[in-house]
Amino acid sequence: MIAGNSLFKIYGKGSVEVRALDGVDITISRGEFVGITGASGSGKSTLLHLLGLLDRPTSGSLRIDGVEVSALSEKERTAFRLNRLGYVFQDYALVPELTAEENIFLPSKVRGMTSKECTRACRDILSLVGLKDRVSFLPGEMSGGEQQRVAIARALINNPALILADEPCANLDTKNSIVILELLKKLNHDLRQTVVMVSHEEWHQRYFDRVVTLQDGKIISDIGT
Amino acid sequence: MLEEEQVAFFLASRLITRGNKGTLLLTVTIIALVFVNLIFLPSIIAGVVILFNQQTIDFSYGNLVIEPRENELVITKADELQQKINRIPGVVASSPRYAGGSTIVYKGRSASPLLVAIKPSDEVQVLKTHTKVISGDFLTDADRGQIVIGRTLAGSADQKVDRVASLGGAEVGKTVEVTFRNGETRQYRVKGILYSGTSATDSNAFITRKEYESVMGVSDSANQILVKTQTTGNEDAMRITLMQYGVQEQVWTWEDKSADFLQSIVGSFAIINFISTIVSLIIAIVIIFIVIFINTVYRRKQIGILQAIGIDRSIIIKSYIFQALFICVCGTAAGCVLLLLMLQYLTASPLVFPGGPVAPVLELSLVLQAVGSLFVVSLIAGYVPSWLTTREEILSAIRG
Ligand SMILES: Nc1ncnc2c1ncn2[C@@H]1O[C@H](COP(=O)(O)OP(=O)(O)OP(=O)(O)O)[C@@H](O)[C@H]1O
Ligand SMILES: [Mg+2]
Repeated sequence: MIAGNSLFKIYGKGSVEVRALDGVDITISRGEFVGITGASGSGKSTLLHLLGLLDRPTSGSLRIDGVEVSALSEKERTAFRLNRLGYVFQDYALVPELTAEENIFLPSKVRGMTSKECTRACRDILSLVGLKDRVSFLPGEMSGGEQQRVAIARALINNPALILADEPCANLDTKNSIVILELLKKLNHDLRQTVVMVSHEEWHQRYFDRVVTLQDGKIISDIGT
Repeated sequence: MLEEEQVAFFLASRLITRGNKGTLLLTVTIIALVFVNLIFLPSIIAGVVILFNQQTIDFSYGNLVIEPRENELVITKADELQQKINRIPGVVASSPRYAGGSTIVYKGRSASPLLVAIKPSDEVQVLKTHTKVISGDFLTDADRGQIVIGRTLAGSADQKVDRVASLGGAEVGKTVEVTFRNGETRQYRVKGILYSGTSATDSNAFITRKEYESVMGVSDSANQILVKTQTTGNEDAMRITLMQYGVQEQVWTWEDKSADFLQSIVGSFAIINFISTIVSLIIAIVIIFIVIFINTVYRRKQIGILQAIGIDRSIIIKSYIFQALFICVCGTAAGCVLLLLMLQYLTASPLVFPGGPVAPVLELSLVLQAVGSLFVVSLIAGYVPSWLTTREEILSAIRG
């Protein structure tokens, strides 16, 4: 699914050089639920940005779903993100003017799905994430946990090969964090969805199949649980 | 490709309907005012030009003016020429005149107006001056010893009111003393005073041709023949027709004759209008640009996120163009309503210019031009800011 080889991400030059990623080799198979953990500034987000095609490595190769992504043009990368990746942000990042349903089907509309198909897919996904009765709520009318579930639904709509989530529970209380984690686990288990999630909470680790720990841009441990 | 536009339109419609209504209303209002400004002044100017043109035809020249052949001072056998002209198809009537300098004295005040000798029965068929007598009566063919003067020439007793040399308040029934170009001096009773609104006509004095000829000792001569044609607007063609019928005198159209005066006015109006148009359009560009720009800057993070979840830059740009177009369409529509209200008001209580009320003339081409330029303006003002914002690195946009 993912094969990253000697990935480097270096900010600045000379004495102020920051090696956010310092030679990371990582392989993730289809259907895995991988947690990435490590201290603040260890390079977790940087790695996820590379996997999410939001950033390019300074050097190294990265294959996702059989595609050498570093060779893609900007437009192809955008299309790749749309069609094969689902990204979940820490702060939900919904469009405040769109209802839950509209936020979710936006990416599928871009792919050319008809409104009818969109609505159907949306309802299915909303009931999957347990928000059937929030269809026409605006983000401002929903709790943080609900918004994050909508964001996960949005990441799911195009049936991505891979779901990436950067600290999706950071703004949530324990109760809501559990809901999100169980949801991701369910997607991983029931839909065989590959999930890579960044988290620095110890207790999250029991949901992961595998925990990758970063320190100063290097992988210092990679343990299957 | 059309899918992109659909999504862009969908996004734009939601951002507008669920966005800030106050800002939207304000922007639309400004665009409406810009639209009105783009059209209102030119339409008033068009109205003024039409009024001036009509006045020139009605009170100064008719449609065509015949003048002596080159190097000659008078048209001899004017009556014969008049009859010949009157037989030409398309000609309604013609009026031979003799216009020359004079000096008129009244109660010690003197002025040097153009003295126009006319045959009233001919003149009334060509010009409408006779309808503009504000006191007394117009001349008749048999009149001798009578004079009709323009209001400006008559002047008023209060010298401060008059801007030009006048007779200081000559009235109907009073006697004025006229000195002709040949030095002859005669007394005339003021028969009427006219006010046409055309400054040239209102500074003239009129006597009959018979009277003039007896004083000057000439007969059957004129130095201009005014011609009225059936339709206004084809003077150039009529001019050629006259020449084809063997009129060897110089033939001018009213436009030729009024060229200097009117064209300089129209020219100045055109410059004022051009400046006002450019300023309005710049205001429109700046306003829409600022609104969209603030909008995109404010949504910088959101735009980054949309790109991050795979929504192409072009869709985002298009959605902002749609928003700008929407503002433009609403503004134009509101502007139209405002304009119609103003036109209605101006029809009820028209602007009065010297010479009469001016009705604004709404030309379709002008409206289309205004709509078109606002359309282009909003394309630019929607495109540039969103292009700038979406050019940014996704990550730095997301970080905010
Ligand atoms: N745009 C940038 N310019 C310079 N340095 C950067 C930039 N982005 C990240 N870094 C640096 O790279 C390192 C890794 O950052 P990263 O955001 O990946 O850490 P993280 O593990 O996600 O931390 P956290 O748990 O706080 O989110 C940090 O030292 C950070 O300062
Ligand atoms: Mg981070």
